[in-house]
Amino acid sequence: MFLKKIFDYGKKEERVIENFKKHLELLCNACDSFHRAMEENDKNLVREVVDSEREGDSVRREIIASIYAGAFLPYLRPDLCRFAEIVDRVFDSLQQTAFNYLEVKLPEHIRDECVRVAFLNARMCEMLSISFDAMLNGEDLREKALAIRIYEKKIDDIKHGVVRDLRQIPVDDFWQGRILADFVSGLTSISDTMEDAGDHLQILSVSMKS
Amino acid sequence: MWKVLSGVVLGWSLGANDSANIFGTGVTTGTVKYRTAILLTAAFVLLGSLIEGPKCIKTLGEISLLQPLDAFVCALATAITMGFLTFFALPASTSQAIVGAIVGAGILSGSADFSKLYKIVSCWVLAPIGGVIIAFVLHKSLGYLLDKTVTSIKHRNLVYTIGFLAAGSYGAYSLGGNNVANVTGVYVGAGVLSADMAALIGGLSIASGALTYSKKVMMTVGKGIAPLDPFSGLIAVIAGALTLHIFTQIGVPVSSSQAIVGAVVGVGIVGDVRTVNHKMLARITLGWLSTPICAGALTYFFVLLVT
Repeated sequence: MFLKKIFDYGKKEERVIENFKKHLELLCNACDSFHRAMEENDKNLVREVVDSEREGDSVRREIIASIYAGAFLPYLRPDLCRFAEIVDRVFDSLQQTAFNYLEVKLPEHIRDECVRVAFLNARMCEMLSISFDAMLNGEDLREKALAIRIYEKKIDDIKHGVVRDLRQIPVDDFWQGRILADFVSGLTSISDTMEDAGDHLQILSVSMKS
Repeated sequence: MWKVLSGVVLGWSLGANDSANIFGTGVTTGTVKYRTAILLTAAFVLLGSLIEGPKCIKTLGEISLLQPLDAFVCALATAITMGFLTFFALPASTSQAIVGAIVGAGILSGSADFSKLYKIVSCWVLAPIGGVIIAFVLHKSLGYLLDKTVTSIKHRNLVYTIGFLAAGSYGAYSLGGNNVANVTGVYVGAGVLSADMAALIGGLSIASGALTYSKKVMMTVGKGIAPLDPFSGLIAVIAGALTLHIFTQIGVPVSSSQAIVGAVVGVGIVGDVRTVNHKMLARITLGWLSTPICAGALTYFFVLLVT
């Protein structure tokens, strides 16, 4: 029994790692689908975002259940669960923004900027996935974290410009204005949560060093 | 043979208390299951007692020439002193208490050899200092080695998990080897037991304490050390065990608690963390003075009463 435990050791961890990778892959797909939905103005692609979010939810539940079932050192477990929850928050923001996109009448002069933000979100997500792999291998995350912060800064700059432009748009209807404001706010806040996830990866990486 | 009973009780209480120094961190953080921890502790304490125990037993027998009844009283007074000081939350060490008790009995019979005490007392002082130095060196060297060789989070997780089991087992081995002398060493000097029999009975009694009553102390002590990261916790356990093992080779029983406190301080120095304060040092010094004096006075009084 004891020997079996020793030889089986690492399988639970392997499963959690695979699920984390799957979780991030789904997020990248969702970000990419949303970017394409905006770029091609194809609102049908929003369905892919919703599907990815649903699947991501179930993967997150599996990750947390496996961790609580004994994968990884107890010292690491809260931080790993927290990382899965931050990624889940990104999914939630993305899904809410995608729903708002179905409703919103996006003014043409801010469309390009919004598409650019969606594109940067997708790139940022890829960088998050690369950072996760680097963290698993114990590599230095400083450069990756810097890249994530640069993406976030770019999105922040675009956000200021878009918000400034938004103020010039006449609003005939309260709900139209509200949905437009929520859409822009949601779209530009996805990167903030992704940056949190990147920061958390750095904490995880440092906490396992000697 | 009934005179050995006080030693068995002392061994049981030592096992119940000191197992926490070994697996406390591992159990409270959930890395090692309590059942696995106590089984490993019991097995390795016994092994350590049988293989290394006689080395320290010899030293205790040289302090005073004891009669069988004196040996019984020494172990009893030590057990009472430990209970009393623990009740008042004073840092007490069985090693110091038993030496105080033997000296107390020796003063009364006029056979106390104070020249042997220099070596013993200097080892008491050197044990926590040794813990600090060993922990510091191990943290620096093993940390460097691990950062260079085991980078993957999954492999490191495996290293820490197996490391806690291996270090805890080694800690239990060192505890048995070093501290069994405190439990039954007096009976060897008094001619009641042979060194090997004393090691066996002492080892079994310490193991029984670990098996039956160590959970509460393990949880309390472990939580105090738990804020350390896994690597530092592991190093603290290895350094504490190594310190005990070194002093076993010198033949002097020292305090396992003070060795591990020293190791935690050493680990803290590497991380530039304030893990030591003057209050703690004052409490340890108070323990060094109060434990042997209390045990010595109590033994003196008991022997007077009995004879």
